[in-house]
This record gives sequence, C-alpha cells and structure tokens, in this order.
Amino acid sequence: MEKPLERVMEEILNTTDVFGCVFADHQGLCLGVKGRASTESAGVIGAIAEEASKLEPNSRPPVIVLESENKMCIIQRNGTITGAIYKLI
Amino acid sequence: MGCCYSFFCNDDGSSQNGEPNERTHLLVNTETNNINIQGNNSDDYLNQDVNAAPKKTDEQSALSRILQETATNVIDVAALDAHNLQQHEYLDRVKMYNMRIQQVLAANRQPYKVKTLLLQDVSSADKILAAEPISAEDYHFVTSMVSKASLAITEIKVEHKEDLVVPFRIP
Repeated sequence: MEKPLERVMEEILNTTDVFGCVFADHQGLCLGVKGRASTESAGVIGAIAEEASKLEPNSRPPVIVLESENKMCIIQRNGTITGAIYKLI
Repeated sequence: MGCCYSFFCNDDGSSQNGEPNERTHLLVNTETNNINIQGNNSDDYLNQDVNAAPKKTDEQSALSRILQETATNVIDVAALDAHNLQQHEYLDRVKMYNMRIQQVLAANRQPYKVKTLLLQDVSSADKILAAEPISAEDYHFVTSMVSKASLAITEIKVEHKEDLVVPFRIP
C-alpha cells in the first residue's frame, strides 16, 4: 500500500547527514515520517510551503531552508504534497 | 624669404607671443618695435597696425573673458573626487541631520519614533543575508526525493483483503 513511500523515505535516510524526513498532504495531514522528525510538524511544514509559494505565485514552488547552528530543515512542495528533510550541516 | 613670409603672416602674432625673431630689437619695447618695423615695409602694413593695436587688446580681453566664462562653467570632477568624507565627518553629519529632523518634527508636533525593524534581534543581518544559499547538491537531492515521494504517494491504494461488505445474518 504505502510501500513505495516507505522505500523513498528509507533512501532519504540512507543519505549522509540526513536524520529525518516528513511528508504532508495539501491540508497538512502527515503522510509519512521517518527518523528524528515528528508527525506534528507536518501541518506547520505544509503551511510554510503554502505561504512561501505565495511570494512568487507564477514560479515553481520554492525550496525553503530553515537553518540552525548545526542542523537544517529543507522544505519543498511538489504538486499537492510537501516534503521536509532534516539534515546536519 | 621664409623669414619674411612668416613675419607678414604673423604680423600680430609675432609681437603678441613675445617670440623674438630676426627683426626684434633687443632694447626697444615690443609696441614701438612693431610699428617701426612695419613702417619700413609698406603703408598698408602701417595702417593695418594702427587698427591692429586696439584690435589686439580687444582680442586679449575677449580671450580672457572666454577663459573666465569657461573657468566658471567647468566642474572639476577630479577635484570633487579627491574630497573623501572622513569617519568623524560622517558622524558629525549624522548628528547634524538627526538634530535637523528633530527640529522639523518638533515644529510639526509629530513624535519621532523608529519603526520596529524586522531583523532587530539579528546582530549581523548582513552576514546572514549574504551567506551562501542552499548548495546545488542539496537542492537536487531535495527536489528529486520530493518528486519521488510525490510519485510514490500517488500510488497509494487501499488493498482490501477482506470483503468490505459483510452480509449480516438476517433471519
């Protein structure tokens, strides 16, 4: 059923420095989470992508990077789903 | 012959420029010298020289007038560039401008307040804003993974293993 998504999330986590990922649908519902990421962040991530894409409505959805001293969270929307990948810097 | 030619052609110029030539007298001043020499040549030149004396001063005054006008109209860019503001001059001007603003606002009776800045809590906003954006590698990674996940999510289907409709035993 959700095997393909599981496989994609496995692939993401197998990448160096990546320690978590979460996917949300267009309403902020969590579709999948793996690693050190919380299902509760799905709604916020969806909202951030939604708001950021309003800056340039005619362009492709932007890649949003939230950065702390040693970690970063990269968010991107693709169609109706939004993905966030957590990574060490 | 060449000397005579040059002299006739430059009847005003030779004495004006003060360049000595073969006819220049060493002990006589240039004005009388000029008249004497030309008097020897012909009447035409003498008449011309009588008219030439005031004409010459006219030309000189015209020339000096042109020079003055040019000097007033010229903007010396090189001289402007040379004047760089020093640090203390900047500070002085900042103080002065602030004072003037206060005066103007006081005259208009409007309170002067600085608007809350967006990046007020960031100490060095310029460094953060000038920092490198996401690396190309990360960008491609995220883009490809999210598109893969998007594709995977569209494939999600409900696989029923049991009958969804269960017949109840209705007697």
